[in-house]
Amino acid sequence: MSDEEHHFESKADAGASKTYPQQAGTIRKNGYIVIKNRPCKVVEVSTSKTGKHGHAKCHFVGIDIFNGKKLEDIVPSSHNCDVPHVTRIDYQLIDISEDGFVSLLTDSGGTKDDLRLPTDESLLAQIKDGFAEGKDLVVSVMSSMGEEQICGLKDIGPK
Amino acid sequence: MQGYGDGGDELAQLLSTMHAIEAACSSIQMHVNPAAAEATILALSQSHHPYKTCQFILENSKVANARFQAAGAVRDAAIREWGFLSSDDRRNLISFCLCFALQHADSHESYVQAKVSSVAAQLIKRGWLDFSADEKEQFFYQIKQATLGTHGLNVQFIGIGIMEYLISEFSPSTSSAMGLPKEFHEQCRRSLELDYLKVFYGWARDASLNVSRKIAGSDSESLEVKVCNAGMCLMLQILTWEFRYNHNGTKSINIFSAGVRNDNVLNNKTECILVQPGPAWHDILISSGDIVWLLNLYAVLRQKFSIERSWIDCPIAVSARKLIVQFCSVTGTIFPSANGSQENYLVQLLSGIILWVEPIDAISKEIESGKSESELLDGCRALLAMATVTTPAVFNSLLKSIRPFGTLTLLSTLMGGVIKVLFSHNNEEETWSWEARDILLDIWTTLLAPLDSSGSGISFPPEGAAAAAHLFDLIVNSELKAASASVYNDDSDSDYLQPSISAMDERLSSYALIARASMDVTVPFLARLFAERVSHLHQGKGISDPTETLEELCSLLLIIGHVLADEGEGETPLIPDSVKRNFSDILEPDKHPVILLSSIIIRFAEQSLDPGLRTSFFSPRLMEAVIWFLSRWSATYLLTREEFNNKNDGSLPGSRHQLQSQDSTKTVAIYFSEYNYGKLVLDAVVRISIITFTAYPGENYLQGLACHQLLHALVRQKNICVHLVALESWRELSNAFANEKMLFMLNASHQRSLAQTLVLSASGLGNSEAANQYVRDVMGHMTKYLVDVSSRNDIRSISEQPDTILSITCLLERLRGAARASEPRTQKSIYEMGLSVLNAILVLLEVYKDESSVVYLLLKFVVVWVDAQITYLEATETATIIGFCMRLLQLYSSHNIGKISLSFSSSLLNDAKTEKYKDLRALLQLLSALCFKDLVDFSSDSIETQGTNVSQVVFYGLHIVTPLISLELLKYPKLCHDYFSLLSHMLEVYPEMVGQLNTEAFSHVMDTLNFGIHHQDSEVVNMCLRALKALASYQYKETAAGKVGLGSHASDPRNPNGGTENRIFGRFLRELLQFLLFEDYSPDLVGSAADALFPLILCEQSLYQMLGNELIERQANPTFRLRLTTALQFLTSANQLTSMLDRVNYQRFRKNLTNFLIEVRGFLQTK
Repeated sequence: MSDEEHHFESKADAGASKTYPQQAGTIRKNGYIVIKNRPCKVVEVSTSKTGKHGHAKCHFVGIDIFNGKKLEDIVPSSHNCDVPHVTRIDYQLIDISEDGFVSLLTDSGGTKDDLRLPTDESLLAQIKDGFAEGKDLVVSVMSSMGEEQICGLKDIGPK
Repeated sequence: MQGYGDGGDELAQLLSTMHAIEAACSSIQMHVNPAAAEATILALSQSHHPYKTCQFILENSKVANARFQAAGAVRDAAIREWGFLSSDDRRNLISFCLCFALQHADSHESYVQAKVSSVAAQLIKRGWLDFSADEKEQFFYQIKQATLGTHGLNVQFIGIGIMEYLISEFSPSTSSAMGLPKEFHEQCRRSLELDYLKVFYGWARDASLNVSRKIAGSDSESLEVKVCNAGMCLMLQILTWEFRYNHNGTKSINIFSAGVRNDNVLNNKTECILVQPGPAWHDILISSGDIVWLLNLYAVLRQKFSIERSWIDCPIAVSARKLIVQFCSVTGTIFPSANGSQENYLVQLLSGIILWVEPIDAISKEIESGKSESELLDGCRALLAMATVTTPAVFNSLLKSIRPFGTLTLLSTLMGGVIKVLFSHNNEEETWSWEARDILLDIWTTLLAPLDSSGSGISFPPEGAAAAAHLFDLIVNSELKAASASVYNDDSDSDYLQPSISAMDERLSSYALIARASMDVTVPFLARLFAERVSHLHQGKGISDPTETLEELCSLLLIIGHVLADEGEGETPLIPDSVKRNFSDILEPDKHPVILLSSIIIRFAEQSLDPGLRTSFFSPRLMEAVIWFLSRWSATYLLTREEFNNKNDGSLPGSRHQLQSQDSTKTVAIYFSEYNYGKLVLDAVVRISIITFTAYPGENYLQGLACHQLLHALVRQKNICVHLVALESWRELSNAFANEKMLFMLNASHQRSLAQTLVLSASGLGNSEAANQYVRDVMGHMTKYLVDVSSRNDIRSISEQPDTILSITCLLERLRGAARASEPRTQKSIYEMGLSVLNAILVLLEVYKDESSVVYLLLKFVVVWVDAQITYLEATETATIIGFCMRLLQLYSSHNIGKISLSFSSSLLNDAKTEKYKDLRALLQLLSALCFKDLVDFSSDSIETQGTNVSQVVFYGLHIVTPLISLELLKYPKLCHDYFSLLSHMLEVYPEMVGQLNTEAFSHVMDTLNFGIHHQDSEVVNMCLRALKALASYQYKETAAGKVGLGSHASDPRNPNGGTENRIFGRFLRELLQFLLFEDYSPDLVGSAADALFPLILCEQSLYQMLGNELIERQANPTFRLRLTTALQFLTSANQLTSMLDRVNYQRFRKNLTNFLIEVRGFLQTK
């Protein structure tokens, strides 16, 4: 049993950590997992055994949350896996620059200018069109393990 | 249809059409421009009166395909134009087809002949109700002559073929579509069954009989064989006819037919179809001695062909055997009662069949060396048919007149032989022995199942018990051998116990039935085997690999579990009757075999508590088997209520024997009761469960079994809870759950189940105060943690850490489990538990708005908690909850309306859709739960005192939720179900609120209702109909009282100025009539459809008149037109129907509508 690895009371400074260990058996579908050093969303968990009277192992199928690639892993279910720390922050969209970067308004009132437009065509079109129409758009930025990307959009424009 | 060929022009015309068709046929075959070719052929069958051309082609064309197409064209045109043909034309067409088929009987292109025969059959049916008996006689004379062989074998073969087509045309399930009322098909079927079927059978029999005399001298390819085979196929076809009009009726049970079972309960369990033609068939089927002839014929075949191996599978042998099996299933009123005629008949059959299955060892050896197995399998099927139509005693005695032993002994030997072969093949599927084993097990089940359930009604012969014991010995030993052999094959399917149990379940229950037929032998036998394996395990400890023994133990646990106890299927199973029947004389507990066997296993299970023994023996799989056994066993035996004490005071109308037998069950029950070892065993069971949580990390399946099956089943019984809460081990478990981190390692859904179990066990505490305190102790820490986390300043940053997510997920699951366990006694503490985290939930919903899995858990907890609590709450509490739900709905909708998510992967996008569906479903459930407050309310004051109006809240909720529900999402069956049940409930209870909906929401509601009426699920349709009824009757009553009712909504909002076409109720009236008259639906719906239709008609009377007239005008047939007119009149006027919407009128209208539909649907619906 790996009691000590379980943080029932979270520490305030733990936000700095990129990943956390968690017992493989407790990871569920729709949760996150690190496979081959990439943050993934779990789309499939199945279990099997090492021989008839052996111990259980988990078979994970994950999808890389940034590039959509499929990755797989097999872990004995009593062992630990790394679970990535995934954050999502909403920013208001201020501007879209010519070279494909966006300018976002942070909570503190500053701007964040280091993000590119998404490559997904429908989202890209919605952002561009919405922006051109003068709507108030909020984009959702997902980040994990040192990478970040625009992953969603919401129109909070005139009601 | 005059003779052709009189004019040169006409001949040229016919020739050119023929060439065109021939060319089209060959171009289709060569795939040259098939579309054009098909159009040419289609044009022929669609042209006006193409008969002459078709006949010309049939008689003159050299291209078989063209003849085939011409026959098809005759059929299509004649069915289409039947009404316009003169009766001479009709007769001539049929005669032509018959003559053509019979005259060209020796043609090589038999498919053309078959097609023409089938056309003849269809045309005869088409005219069946119009032709006079004489006319029919003419056709049948021709067919009869052919069938009886007057014109040679080829013609005879075609004649039999025509009869086959006729019968399949007249049987509704196989008839071809003719665009005629269903009533027509039913009338034809009835007429054929009553007047012709027996005659046809006679012809078929005579045909086969006559030819069969010559078979002995001919080879298997000869024409005689072919004809004989066709005749038997026809007999078989007639015997599989679904007899409906047998005069005495099958449903009346003839209580005088001794030993012959008439219960139809079993029929669906086996694959064997009973043949119940009724007493009229006695002379031709039974007293005619057909079976003797048939058995002799088969005997001749056997002898004659025994040199060739493949003869068993040649068509004539196959159909002869099928026919014999079919004869075995003949039962019912055809046998005169009480003179044993059915027994004699079956003995006769058995004397022939026995050669197919005996001696089994020799036969199986032959099959293994290449002989076909079909004869053996058919023999088994025949035995199954016999077992289905007789009682075990009669079944057993059948063989006694031929052999020194009974049929049951034969069955046991037979199965023994089959099993030997089966297990020598490593249990491979789809071998012949596998199939034979399944049929034989079906026979045992058929014989033993009623014995097991009803007890004393039917007795089992002692010879059968001995045979069963012997067989069970063999089965278990073979299963064990198979188990130890299977250890090393890497078949991943069988790694987990549950899949293997469900795959084997049917088989295991049959085994259990066999074992229970002679428990006095089989239970001690099982105990011996189990003890042997356990001691073997201990002897070999540390020396040899125990895996094989472990697998054997798993297998034994499964078998013993099935033998000793039944599956409860949600109810508390009783100790099986056979336990009391077999051990009625054993009253000392330490000699009772069932107690001995149970004790051995429990002692073994307890060894898993020892760490050393655990690591060396108790593999996860063995633990699964142990837990499975304990849960099945304890549901039946552990601490059962002492009903026996009260029952036994002699007031029961039981004989002395019954009292005695109950004493024996009592011995077992008392032994495991609270006064004896019950508490010790319960303690052991709890400790073993704890071990599965602590000592088997990550073994999800095992832990799930312990949570969901074992512990959950224990707390379902209150008498067990009383003892549970007093146990030290139970306190340990609840302490660990509340305070220790270890149990967070369990799968979240297991934690939910565990929370539920622990809270439920509080019902075992003496008073409500103690029970509430118990719940507070278990859940207190968890709510405190949630409140603490949600009130932290850095909640945003820590909330996204995986460990925080994990804890919150687990805690929410636990709270949900606890909420599910709400009972009146613990209601107070569970209410407080939820109340304390309400704020935290709103905070978390905001924080985790992008973490859909957490959002779902939050909603789910609220739903379960509100659902469990709402009926008990006082007015102020209700107001709090309703206010909270409102904020929850607003928050959820503000997060989700107008949101677009991006994902690179389509499977993630699909997942997102599914999650959204689950969320919405939870919200709908929440609204329904709130609605419930208006129906059931246990609180002391009315909620109105606080000014809360549930309907307003729920409609507001509906406003929020409906925009999120698209027709697309309604394709999820569960969501659809929830949505419509909420909708129908709201419209029924608060129709006045509908008028206050805004236009958009209103039209959305109407669109979904319209969607629901056409849904496949009849329950959804039913709910929509209820909603419609409520709306329409509200509207009618309001407008009758001079009020506005739904006001502007009553006309379609999208087209408010349109005529009657666009009125909401008009639209539904039209839809509903269309649905009732022309579509297929379950008859259960007629009642609620009537309830909806009645107010709709009243709302839209003029439109209804118009629709009625339309319907009448569309009917071309004057008889039908008249019937329809009268029926429509009756619908609205019969039974003193008035235009009042009260209960009596609704009832009358229901009756009227039912009669109306019976009257008109027969001809309005066509096939």
